[in-house]
Amino acid sequence: MTEPMSQSEPDAAAILKAQKRRNVWLAWALVAFVVIVGVTTAIRIQQADFSGGDRLYFSGYLDEAAKEKRDREAVERARAAEAKAAAAAADPAPEGADDE
Amino acid sequence: MSLDMTASQPQARLASARDYVELMKPRIMMLVVFTALAGLVAAVGVTGQGINPVLASVAVLAVALGSGAAGAINMWYDSDIDAVMVRTSTRPIPSGAVPRSEALAMGMIMSALSVLLMWIASNVLAAALLALSIVYYGWFYTMVLKRRTAQNIVIGGAAGAFPPVIGWAAVTGSAPLDAWILFAIIFFWTPPHFWALSLVAHKEYEKAGVPMLPVTSGAKSTRTHILLYTIALTPIGLAPLATGLGGWLYAGVGGLLSASFLYFAVKVYRSGAGDADAGDAERKLAMSMFAFSILYLFGLFAALIAEHGFGLYFPLGGA
Repeated sequence: MTEPMSQSEPDAAAILKAQKRRNVWLAWALVAFVVIVGVTTAIRIQQADFSGGDRLYFSGYLDEAAKEKRDREAVERARAAEAKAAAAAADPAPEGADDE
Repeated sequence: MSLDMTASQPQARLASARDYVELMKPRIMMLVVFTALAGLVAAVGVTGQGINPVLASVAVLAVALGSGAAGAINMWYDSDIDAVMVRTSTRPIPSGAVPRSEALAMGMIMSALSVLLMWIASNVLAAALLALSIVYYGWFYTMVLKRRTAQNIVIGGAAGAFPPVIGWAAVTGSAPLDAWILFAIIFFWTPPHFWALSLVAHKEYEKAGVPMLPVTSGAKSTRTHILLYTIALTPIGLAPLATGLGGWLYAGVGGLLSASFLYFAVKVYRSGAGDADAGDAERKLAMSMFAFSILYLFGLFAALIAEHGFGLYFPLGGA
C-alpha cells in the first residue's frame, strides 16, 4: 500500500534540478577560491624579498625579531668584509711573508 | 523532553541559495566584516604600515567566510532549540530546507578555507586569531556556554570581539593595545545588546531551555545588568581617545552615542521591560535599545574608518 505523495513534497525532477543548480554554484565557488589563492600568491611572491630570508606564507610577521637579527648579522658581515678589504688595500702583506 | 532533530529529517522543501546564505547569519556577518575592516583601516592609519588592497580584500573575505562558517556550525548545533522558538523556527534547518549534516559540512569546510585564505593573504597571527574566534563561537559559546550558564552572552561575547583584532593583525602582524581596546568595546557592548533583545524574547528562551539572564534571574536583574554593563562600556567606548586611536571626530560621535546609549539603559532600567505585566511600550523600549545598540557600535567603528581611511583624523592633542 502506498500513500499518495503530499503536494508540498518536492518531486524527484525538482530535487535533481536543485542539486544541479547547487553543483554549479559549488563549482563556481571552487573556481573563485582557486583564482583568489592564485592572485594572492602572485602578489605575495612579488612583495617577498627572498634574498633577505623571507618565506612566502609561513614566516608571516611573527618572525620579525628573527628577521631583524638576520638583517643585522648580514649588515655586520658586509661591514666586516668591507673593513677587511679596506685594511688589505691600505696595508698589503710584505712580499715573502708567507715564506717565514 | 528531547528536542533532537536527526540528520535523517526529511527535506520539507527545496533549499534555495538564500537558505545557504541564511545559514551563514548574514546580519552578524555584516557587523563582523565591518568591525574587521575598521581594525584593518585603523591599523594602517595608526602604524603607517601598508597592505596591498587585494590582500586586504582577501583578508576581509576570509573574516566573512569564517563568520559564516561559525554561523553554520551554530545553526547545526542549535537546530533543536531553533525549531522551538518562533523567531528562529523559519531558519533553514528547522524549516527543513537544509539537512543538518549539510550545514555542519558547510561550516567545517568554510572554517578551514577561511583560515587558509587568511594565512595566505596576511600572516599566521591573523589566521590563528580567526581560527580561535571560529572555535570560540562554534564550539565554546554554542556547545559549552549557551545552554549551561546565564553568563553565556558575557563570556561568549569575546567571539564577536575578535574581528577588529584580526583586521589589525592582518596588517601589522601584531595585536597592540589599540586593537584590544576595540576588542573590549565589542566585548562590553555584547551583553546589553543581547539582554535588551532577551527582555522581549525571554519566554521563547525559557521554552527552549536556554538560560538567558531574564529566564534565570528575572527581568529586574537583567535591567540592572544592562545598566551596569552600559556604564562600564562608556569609558571603554571612549578609551581610543586616551591612546590617540580616536581623534576629534571619534570624540564627537563617541560622546554623543555613549550618552544616548546610557540614556536608553537608564530608561530601560526604570521601565518594566521584560516583566510579566509589561505592555507594548516596554517591549518597544527594549527593542529600541537593541536597535540603538547596533547603531552605537556601527557609529563608533564608522568614525574610526572615516578618521583613518578618509583622512579625517585630527588628534585631540593637536599634534
